[in-house]
Amino acid sequence: MESALAARITGFVATMRANGFAVGLDEAEDTLRAAEYTGVLAREPLRWAWRGLLCGRADEWHRFDELFDSYWRPPNKTKLVESRTGGGKQLALDESSAAAGGKAGPAIQSADGDAAGISEGDASKGGASAASSLETADFRTLTDPEQTRAIETLIRRFARRLKHLKTRREQAAKAGARLDLRRTLRRGIAAGGVPARLSYRAPRRIQPRLLLLLDVSRSMSLYSFFYLRVARALQAELPDIHVFLFHTRLTHVSDALSDPDPWRAQERLQILSAGWAGGTRIGECLADFNRRFAGRLVHARTAVILASDGYDTGESGLLGRELAELAGRARRIVWLNPMKAVPGYAPLARGMQEALPSIDLFAAGHDLASLGTALTGLMDAL
Amino acid sequence: MDRMGAIIDLQSRLAGTGYVADRGLAATLLLMADLGRPLLIEGDPGVGKTEIAKALARVRGTRLIRLQCYEGLDTYNALYEWNYQRQLLAIKRAESGAVVLDDDALFSETYLLKRPLLEALTQAVPPVLLIDEIDRADAAFEAFLLELLSDYQVSIPEMGTVAAVSIPLVILTSNGTRDLSDALRRRCLYHFLDYPSFEKELTIVTARLPGLPARLAAQIVEFAHGLRRLDLKKKPGIAETLDWASALLGFGLASLDAAEPEQIRDSLSALLKTREDVLALDRTAISRLVAMAG
Repeated sequence: MESALAARITGFVATMRANGFAVGLDEAEDTLRAAEYTGVLAREPLRWAWRGLLCGRADEWHRFDELFDSYWRPPNKTKLVESRTGGGKQLALDESSAAAGGKAGPAIQSADGDAAGISEGDASKGGASAASSLETADFRTLTDPEQTRAIETLIRRFARRLKHLKTRREQAAKAGARLDLRRTLRRGIAAGGVPARLSYRAPRRIQPRLLLLLDVSRSMSLYSFFYLRVARALQAELPDIHVFLFHTRLTHVSDALSDPDPWRAQERLQILSAGWAGGTRIGECLADFNRRFAGRLVHARTAVILASDGYDTGESGLLGRELAELAGRARRIVWLNPMKAVPGYAPLARGMQEALPSIDLFAAGHDLASLGTALTGLMDAL
Repeated sequence: MDRMGAIIDLQSRLAGTGYVADRGLAATLLLMADLGRPLLIEGDPGVGKTEIAKALARVRGTRLIRLQCYEGLDTYNALYEWNYQRQLLAIKRAESGAVVLDDDALFSETYLLKRPLLEALTQAVPPVLLIDEIDRADAAFEAFLLELLSDYQVSIPEMGTVAAVSIPLVILTSNGTRDLSDALRRRCLYHFLDYPSFEKELTIVTARLPGLPARLAAQIVEFAHGLRRLDLKKKPGIAETLDWASALLGFGLASLDAAEPEQIRDSLSALLKTREDVLALDRTAISRLVAMAG
């Protein structure tokens, strides 16, 4: 293949990388091979081949065509020649082949404001509402070491003791009630078919999945950061955990929260948090969750932890219905309500009234001590 | 034949087996054989992910070997296992002095039970290996699979390494119940299968149910598209559309507007699979959809 053409293709791969596609060296090489198989003159077959090769997940799939067009379609050609940024091998300047000139296109942000770095475009997708506030929260204290340490200690203890759930699948075990005939025979062959050493089977135990739904509306503002820190600590300890924030709409923040770089985590949350400390529509957010995520994220070994005061401004009846549905899918529903710690509190708010029938464990969880009690309660229940 | 010709040719051969694929998918299937990479197909349930593998096997005239993944799937069920009963019998026979048995004979292919993965590696003609719902298997199995799919060889401790006789065409499907690792995604070609366009679904319906009146077929597909635009718990896939179409065909109708509302409501159980969705779709919603379907 001509080196100028190869360089232009390499430039395309660099563009894809700059736009967040995970393209390894093997794939870069295969881009050239695919082009040889397909022929470089047929645009659509090339598009299909490279789309299959360079995309790895659905969101990349949906962005690919735009990036492909902006790099290869004629209107951009002159512009690309001008911006000689990044990627590709050094080109011999040849005025006769202007078309083969550009080395790499610019990194393109997709038009809908889906900034690189947020993998979920939730922040821009949810509908705005009259009640959502426009301010974004200050996340600087999220990684404050002093406050974080105590939480991390508690969470580590919790994570270690988190019971592994029994499943119906079995695996080999040192001791148990059921004999593993297959392994016993297999090991017996070494002794000429005499089952000298016995093997057993026991139910496989796996860690449950945790799902955190945190209310970050204004009425919860005192506790929002506390719960976020708990979530971040939990996420560092447990492999299978998903965190959502909700106020007037629902946002998936697992990725942003688990960013190992604390500064970047803050920045990403900042972008996601539009509407922070506004009103609350628990019912609608739960409905949204049930529709978009529950089928995928909630299974029979999921413990759902909901932190909210239950002051719901949405349509009445919705919260109860949706929570009941979620409870049907999940193993346990834990509701943490900081108001419960206030002497004389009774769960009389309409939201709480609707929710109570579906809740397995209702606890205060307003500070570390009570959170510890609640988590212990959860472990016993699982 | 140039590439576009090859793509269109594969597309029409796929259509010949009853699978309607767009050109992008046909191009990816060609590339898969060229590059020797597996193909990962994602998409909502009921859009025809598994059918691709079946159609591909039919087009190429090879075997389809299917590995259905589930939680707790281990190598014994996916790769191989020794036939202990036969081994023990052979040992007993050897003890009686009838035959001479050494270790190599005991651990030879005679006593090996091939499970789908090993079966696929030992075929003379490259088969189509369908690894269905890979997201249901656990992460450990996924890592094992990744190794297998890059080297196309497995090591059996008692026998040594078994290299692939021919490289199978591997198709993996995922419903997204669990996020797959980036390594596996990178190793595979990727295709996202969306709900079909109106024309594509109409082609599928008329191909599968040739006896369906043209007007009714168009209305059914339009109705299904209308349903997918609604806010349903479980959107109907192509299989559901086909079920419903054959249900309506059983009524002997010429078009949807000729149908009694009761006939439509009763047959809708083919399209709607949850109680909430059935409740959400009341009389007025149905008649609106029918009117929209023209």
